[in-house]
Amino acid sequence: MKRRGFVLGAIGSGAALIVGWGAMPQRSRLGTRSTLPAQADGIALNGWIRIAPDGGVLLAMPRVEMGQGVHTALPMLVAEELDLPLARVRLVPAAAETIYGNVALFLAALPFHPSEEEPGRESGRLKAGRWIVGKLARELGLSVTGGSTSVVDAWELLRYAAATARAQLLGAAALQWKLPVSELNAEDGVVSHSSGPRAHYGQFAAAAAGTPVSDVQPKPRSAWKLIGTAAPRTDLAGKVDGSARYGIDVRLPEMVYGVLSMGPTLGGSPGTMKTDAALRVSGVERVVQIGGDTGTNAGVVVLARSTWHARRGLAALEVEWRPPPARLIDSERIAVALEAVAREERGLAFRSRGDVDAAESAAARRIEAVYHAPYLAHAAMEPISCTARVAGGKVEIWASTQVPDFARAAAAIAAGVPVDAVTLHVPYLGGGFGRRLDADFVGPAVRVAMETSGRPVQLIWPREEDIRHDFYRPAGVAVMSAGLDANGLPVSLRVTTAGDAVTPRWIERNLPWMAGPIDLPDKTTSEGLFDQPYGVPNQRIAHVATHSGVPVGYWRSVGHSHNAFFGESFIDELAHAAGRDPVDFRLALLADSPRHAEVLRLATQKAGWGSALPAGRARGVALHESFGSVVAWVAEVSIEAGVPRVHRVVCAVDCGTVVNPGIVAQQIESGVIFGLSAALHGRIDIVGSAVQQQNFPDYPVLKMADAPRIETHFVPSERPPGGMGEPGTPGIGPAVANALFGLTGVRARKLPLGAVNSGSP
Amino acid sequence: MTLIDNAGAGVCVQQEERDARMELSVNGQAHDLPDESVDPAMPLLWVLRDVLQLTGTKYGCGVAACGACTVHVAGQAVRSCVLPLSAVGKQPVRTIEALGSAVAPHALQRAWIEHQVPQCGYCQSGMLMAAAALLAQNPDPSDAQIDAAITNICRCGTYPRIRAAIRSLARPAPAVPAARRKPPKAKP
Repeated sequence: MKRRGFVLGAIGSGAALIVGWGAMPQRSRLGTRSTLPAQADGIALNGWIRIAPDGGVLLAMPRVEMGQGVHTALPMLVAEELDLPLARVRLVPAAAETIYGNVALFLAALPFHPSEEEPGRESGRLKAGRWIVGKLARELGLSVTGGSTSVVDAWELLRYAAATARAQLLGAAALQWKLPVSELNAEDGVVSHSSGPRAHYGQFAAAAAGTPVSDVQPKPRSAWKLIGTAAPRTDLAGKVDGSARYGIDVRLPEMVYGVLSMGPTLGGSPGTMKTDAALRVSGVERVVQIGGDTGTNAGVVVLARSTWHARRGLAALEVEWRPPPARLIDSERIAVALEAVAREERGLAFRSRGDVDAAESAAARRIEAVYHAPYLAHAAMEPISCTARVAGGKVEIWASTQVPDFARAAAAIAAGVPVDAVTLHVPYLGGGFGRRLDADFVGPAVRVAMETSGRPVQLIWPREEDIRHDFYRPAGVAVMSAGLDANGLPVSLRVTTAGDAVTPRWIERNLPWMAGPIDLPDKTTSEGLFDQPYGVPNQRIAHVATHSGVPVGYWRSVGHSHNAFFGESFIDELAHAAGRDPVDFRLALLADSPRHAEVLRLATQKAGWGSALPAGRARGVALHESFGSVVAWVAEVSIEAGVPRVHRVVCAVDCGTVVNPGIVAQQIESGVIFGLSAALHGRIDIVGSAVQQQNFPDYPVLKMADAPRIETHFVPSERPPGGMGEPGTPGIGPAVANALFGLTGVRARKLPLGAVNSGSP
Repeated sequence: MTLIDNAGAGVCVQQEERDARMELSVNGQAHDLPDESVDPAMPLLWVLRDVLQLTGTKYGCGVAACGACTVHVAGQAVRSCVLPLSAVGKQPVRTIEALGSAVAPHALQRAWIEHQVPQCGYCQSGMLMAAAALLAQNPDPSDAQIDAAITNICRCGTYPRIRAAIRSLARPAPAVPAARRKPPKAKP
């Protein structure tokens, strides 16, 4: 309460502080030469950029590569401003410094309505909120890769850092050559003058370092050579020859392999244990019990000379697993309870406009529907692992993590050492999807490594542990009603969703000092609904935050992942109730959302909306904004052997300025297939606190044979970039569901849509 | 011909070697496997990753469901996470590390880059090995044959690009001079 009052108070008085807000944040995050100390391989010009002796650039890279292409997109910004070929920007790991914190992530958490966020027309409230949250986020300086924010956060910052470095280098050249800086030219990392002098950046780095930083402006759009091109990804060579190293690939001398079991239930713990048989398994070295105090469930680890020997040891271990102390969790019971609270409680209104009660009673018709979405696991391809070495009061860890600061903190807590005694290496991530925004897997590895006299330990979670002990996408329910006028257009929209809020639980786990006695409102619970783009004069869009006891976490597109299904299915219901074409109906409601209308028009035009299809096929459409990007999906669907089959998906996207259209298309394809796996098959069932699914045979995901053709089309835009890691995911489910309605006449209001072969391999 | 058949049928084949030092041929190199660190029942995947430290071959599910562990044994794509060492015997094993080389990449590796296939990349070793085995047997696979042959899982959703990359190399066998084709063969 106290903290909330402080924040709101600050927002109220913040208007006076907005003056000068524009350029300052970038300047304050530029860092100094000492942030990125000079090393043999180059001379630092600021906290981001070091110039190599050969004139190339070394860029401090605080964001992790998990498939989203950020190790290509961010260097592109720097190569553009420094007039260098992309290949000459090399990445070096960023240290744990606050300038590398992700500020955009925190700004995006502010629950403002899009009408207040339009670039250049931001409301005073919004500017003030951003000012205070930005300041806090810069102080906090948390390096996080998530929330589709890497390019959003780096967009101004990295271009400013590179443009500043370029100005310093050219300034040094001008001084040395005694020529006016305005007459110098820079191309491919070479500075030249028409009178003859030519030299690469490396020759000016020493002179440039420490020269005053003037306020430079990044290049105008018209001068871009690299931004906007489909530059090939920089990380693919190692990904096609097996040399790319992921966390699970770390191999160290004397390393011992550990395999973790956390038992059959969420929150259970090992009781009586007979270790004799396990220790008799050849290759097994020892059995270590993990308490519940290391940031994860309690469990047992078998250490052995290989992962396989450890698994054999685990199979031979006799453990009597104790059930969790809390009330047993049952996902079916939770779904019933969620629907009840969504019907009975008013919840917290994230959007309230007009008079919904009056509009509903005056409406010609009223439509109501209830939608359900299940729990989901992440199931990234690389199983969870962490490698740790503890010796001489120092801890070294290798972890595929989206939250390096949390990983270091978890290691320090587990080992009882200061954070400065922890060295972290982050290899490639074999997928993240939000699972690795929790660092729960670090503590146990460090604890086990404290038992091995300095030998490094690689602790692996078998796939079964990954599925059964995830932080799940929360189950959700939406109770929705709309009042329609005589023409079938909605005059009121009432949405009450219910489900666990992810952010407060995540803060409790990862930033416990920030967790208050009550949960603050979590925008992610209502995102995609409270900010829906359709013009309805009376709206009340609310959420009831529940506490199911299920461990919940961020899952690609978070609240959008189910809220788009609720909202975009329901608007389709309204279109059909009005007897209107679903696209025309949407367009009629988008008069005040031209950006959305444009995206919808492009997708439907490219998909041939309205044109004839082979018998047995139907199209469905969805439109959804998330993470600052607007996407429309048109899915062509048939039903084969009782199961939906998606043949073709046409997407249009307005993600603002496109840094790399090749990577954006990849992310659309990726998001569509990830969302389609969830829409057709994804469900986690919990019975007696035991997750029923455990591996791909019973948690099926899309395979090649089920993958549709996917097209991506762009609406040109000069807005700042929006996020792209997640926006491809939310709308594919409703697009398919809407197509199925066209085929069957039955509205699917519960996910997953497809038949699920639960339990059978 | 799937790995599961191999695993089931092959368990007893090499029993007589149990007492001898085990030898494994990987990527054209013979490896003596010390008795104390391996076991005839140990799946090939873990021998590759944890004993020989060839980490390009990935663990994804351990139950032959995802294909991240796909390698070639005697030219056939197999899921090494369920293939015991005893079933491999003296058959040559080829892993992603030897699918091509830096100077002479496999045509599929070039196609993978041309089509910008990988995202996180974790499943791609298995995808490439499965695709290479398919093309070696069927130089002109249809989409349906690709779907049937490549049942590997990718969570980043690279399937459409994988299909396009394979199709870009697929060509009717008689139409192409043999010299232009590079059938992926296990090294001697």
